[in-house]
Amino acid sequence: MPIFKLCLKIFRKNWSSIGVFLVIFVSLSCIFAFSYSQSSLSKGFTQERAKVALISKEKTPLTEGFRMALAKNADFVTLPDQTEKMQDALFFRKVTYILVIPKGFTKDALNDGTMKMEKRVVPGSAENAYIDSIVRQYWHLATVYAAHEPNLSETQIADHVKRDLSTSTPVVMHDQHAASADSNFITGYFNFVAYGLTIVMIVGIAAVFIVLNRQDINRRIICSPIHSISVNLQIFLAIIIFALFCWTGFSGLGIFLNLKNQITAPIGYYLLNSVVFTLCLSSISYLIGNLVSNRQALSAIANVIGLGSAFLSGAFVPQELMNQTVLKIASFTPTYWYVTANNRIAGLGAGNWAETKSILNDMAIVLAFAVAFLILSLVIGKRRRMYA
Amino acid sequence: MTIVETQNLVKRYGDLVALDHLSLEVKEGEIFGLLGPNGSGKSTSLNCILSLLSFDKGEVKIFGKTMKPDAYSIKRNIGIVMQNVAVFDELTVYENIDYFCSLYVPDKKQRKQLVDEAIDFVELGEFRKFYPKKLSGGLLRRLNIACGIAHQPKLIILDEPTVAVDPQSRNKILEGIKQLHKQGATIIYTSHYMEEVEQICTQIVIIDKGRVIASGTKEELKAMISMGEKITVETFSISSDQMTALRRLPGVITAEYADERLVIKSEKETNNLAAVLDFFKNESITFGRIYSELPTLNDVFLEITGKQLRD
Ligand SMILES: Nc1ncnc2c1ncn2[C@@H]1O[C@H](COP(=O)(O)OP(=O)(O)OP(=O)(O)O)[C@@H](O)[C@H]1O
Ligand SMILES: [Mg+2]
Repeated sequence: MPIFKLCLKIFRKNWSSIGVFLVIFVSLSCIFAFSYSQSSLSKGFTQERAKVALISKEKTPLTEGFRMALAKNADFVTLPDQTEKMQDALFFRKVTYILVIPKGFTKDALNDGTMKMEKRVVPGSAENAYIDSIVRQYWHLATVYAAHEPNLSETQIADHVKRDLSTSTPVVMHDQHAASADSNFITGYFNFVAYGLTIVMIVGIAAVFIVLNRQDINRRIICSPIHSISVNLQIFLAIIIFALFCWTGFSGLGIFLNLKNQITAPIGYYLLNSVVFTLCLSSISYLIGNLVSNRQALSAIANVIGLGSAFLSGAFVPQELMNQTVLKIASFTPTYWYVTANNRIAGLGAGNWAETKSILNDMAIVLAFAVAFLILSLVIGKRRRMYA
Repeated sequence: MTIVETQNLVKRYGDLVALDHLSLEVKEGEIFGLLGPNGSGKSTSLNCILSLLSFDKGEVKIFGKTMKPDAYSIKRNIGIVMQNVAVFDELTVYENIDYFCSLYVPDKKQRKQLVDEAIDFVELGEFRKFYPKKLSGGLLRRLNIACGIAHQPKLIILDEPTVAVDPQSRNKILEGIKQLHKQGATIIYTSHYMEEVEQICTQIVIIDKGRVIASGTKEELKAMISMGEKITVETFSISSDQMTALRRLPGVITAEYADERLVIKSEKETNNLAAVLDFFKNESITFGRIYSELPTLNDVFLEITGKQLRD
């Protein structure tokens, strides 16, 4: 099998250029693993404190109780009741949340009235969400008490609400998120692998084709008595070996880095997903090898494709935080579907067939990409050979 | 026995007819020279012969069998050396030859001997462990040849193996080809250097614009043309009257004066050198060197096509 052996030889000769990417990738993964373990140990779940200005134009037992309820999650800032000053304060982030209680609000609220508190916020501050929920809960509870027990005085209502709020504070996390404490790292890792694997595979496989497709070398092979099917099979075999080698390396590293986390995540799914993705990368590399004939250009292209697709598809940044348009564009790359499947695997509960089906569906799309790229490169390869 | 035979090969690139009903016949034991100017269709004809290129019309037979892309038993006995150097930069001299040889000879032990012989043959012994990037142009050409012939094929096809090669390496290559011929190989050799073809080829075909314009041994080719002798005189001044007088000398076909050089072509067996010398003395024209030559293949080409083989 001379051609098979030759391919392996070329892989080995290209080790240095592949090695650079491997070192980068391994060090990034280590940083990634390290920072993840730090953040997951020390932080846990804490509510952020917001800077709130509460301007009340009346003083009732309920408004005072409300102020105390807020104090648990807010640092109060005093502001004069002037629109301009308030806007300045928001602009300079002195406060993120301003609430103005109009005169007569308490009475109106208890009677199911329509009066509203005036609210100004810095848009997009996460900590405001907590304040919003306290505001909603406090006044909702107060109205409920007033409606069901009309005899209660405002002071009594304020006491009841205070008691209720303090008992209902414990945060209940959804099952899914509890599981993700472990699977978050491995998901992040496998998403991140999309980047490293893409570059290594493109550089490695395309380098072989750049050599084999050089017109005169290709002619020598065509003129030899080796059957053309055998030539293609040998090349294919070499690619598979190389791909498996890369895949084993990357997933092995992931599992190793993940050892200190309990393995509750369905590792098998991650492995399957990444194998499928590796296959797809093989055929992309095959295509690029057929198109590009220059080594320098190759490493630039590998970087652009590797970084670009990984970035667009949410391999670095969670997809939930990304722009919808960007994700739409990303869905034209297999990387997107690979990352999507990884994220689904992270949230996979036991026996959730519907979810498993969509994971398999994502993998099927990646496979379809693989087939499409393969056909495209065979067509191009054939055309090139005819003009040889 | 006929080794390679093409009949009425036609190859078109769009409107351009690269091969125009080209018929060739290469017999066993020949060094068959395909001589033609740049773009005359030499490489194209070799590519068609080897089934590397599809053609529009005609037939190619090698070893008596029709050549096809999947005629692997024919391919086993052919060695090719293409116009461009085709070796792996990733492999050393030895590994390169070994690799291309392994396409034909799977057996390792047998191959080792063949590769060693090939390395000795092109005299690259001291460069075995060198990578191609470290070799000079001439050495690279020799490596390229070794890669094509290590498996000792019966038919060797070389496409301009001496292009851009220094005279020393060129002579080594030509000697090598003669040696391969002595060892029994049939050789097809293309070139646009007529001197080379004249030097080594036993049979010559001159092609132009994809057509055979003459074929035969070099003696036969030269006999084909009317010119038998070419006399060149270096002189600074000659009048048009004197030119006319020169042209009237017996047996003179043409006399041309350009770049302080007078070229007189005369028919076969005229031996005009003495007559020309006398003429210069009588007319008291001062002159430098004067020499007489037999016709070259370039003259053959020139007389048939009206243009120089090399521009
Ligand atoms: N792929 C191609 N497409 C179009 N025209 C081509 C192609 N290859 C060769 N030709 C044309 O066919 C003609 C013959 O080319 P060929 O390469 O056979 O010449 P050659 O005799 O080998 O010349 P050289 O001495 O330069 O190698 C030329 O006119 C060339 O321009
Ligand atoms: Mg040529």
